Amino acid sequence: MSRFEALSVPNVDSLRIELHPPQRLKLDGRITSQEPGKVLGGFFRQVHDAAIEAKLTAFELDVTELKFVNSSSIRLFLDWAGWVKANMPNGYKLRILTTRKFTWQKTSFVAITSLAAGAVEVQVAD
Amino acid sequence: MANTNQGSLAPTNPLVAMRFRPAWTYIDGIRDFGEFFCRTTFAESDVADRACIVIQETLENAIKYSSPEPDSELELVICASPHHIEFSVTSKPNHAHLQSLKDELERLRMVDPEQAFIAALERAQREPEASARLGLARMRYEGGVELKLSDAPDGRIRFTAAGRL
Repeated sequence: MSRFEALSVPNVDSLRIELHPPQRLKLDGRITSQEPGKVLGGFFRQVHDAAIEAKLTAFELDVTELKFVNSSSIRLFLDWAGWVKANMPNGYKLRILTTRKFTWQKTSFVAITSLAAGAVEVQVAD
Repeated sequence: MANTNQGSLAPTNPLVAMRFRPAWTYIDGIRDFGEFFCRTTFAESDVADRACIVIQETLENAIKYSSPEPDSELELVICASPHHIEFSVTSKPNHAHLQSLKDELERLRMVDPEQAFIAALERAQREPEASARLGLARMRYEGGVELKLSDAPDGRIRFTAAGRL
């Protein structure tokens, strides 16, 4: 059993998490809890570790249905970008699939990408 | 995203005014109402999205750092003029937080909103165990508002975020 298959998707209020092993994670809803890292931080790290173990060259994080996040949640994506950057030039590239529908996505993810150049790429779906 | 600091509007003529207990569980509902209100009241397409960010982050800060008194409450007021919108939250903060909030606002005032947001992200990356403290920089950059703090009656403070419509 691969690490991806062993992963258990956490329950988070107002968020649907779809893991499509081995290369895609989709987030649908909102992340506005007081300490989102308590549950999601560990899960994102497990996904990252599984992607490294599977020797992926790219992993897609689909946030096109992620309507809103608070600033504490932005840090979760920042941390993930940092892990990917720390593995460069080995490891995988994190592709974040965004949408123009939610204006915060452009500013937040572009800013995160600027701190992890070469490791993270933002794509716009629409 | 343009950023303006056009001074304060008269909070005596609010479009929306709400008073409530400082509880995290209320934030989603109040933010969603603020989004609905801005989407249906203003023609400008990005106001509702910016309102979500400003309401979320101001209420989070006010609730996290409110004085733990039994009669503690928050007041959210939304005002608008033909070209500007203002969100203000009045609360009774704990003293330790008040000084750090003043210091942070003073630091932010001297830096371009985008640069300040990037700097806040860099700080969060450097200090993974520390509190993220991204909210104020995010409000200025993504919310397109300038921030200020003023005294309110009974030892309370009024935190105001004002920007263009």
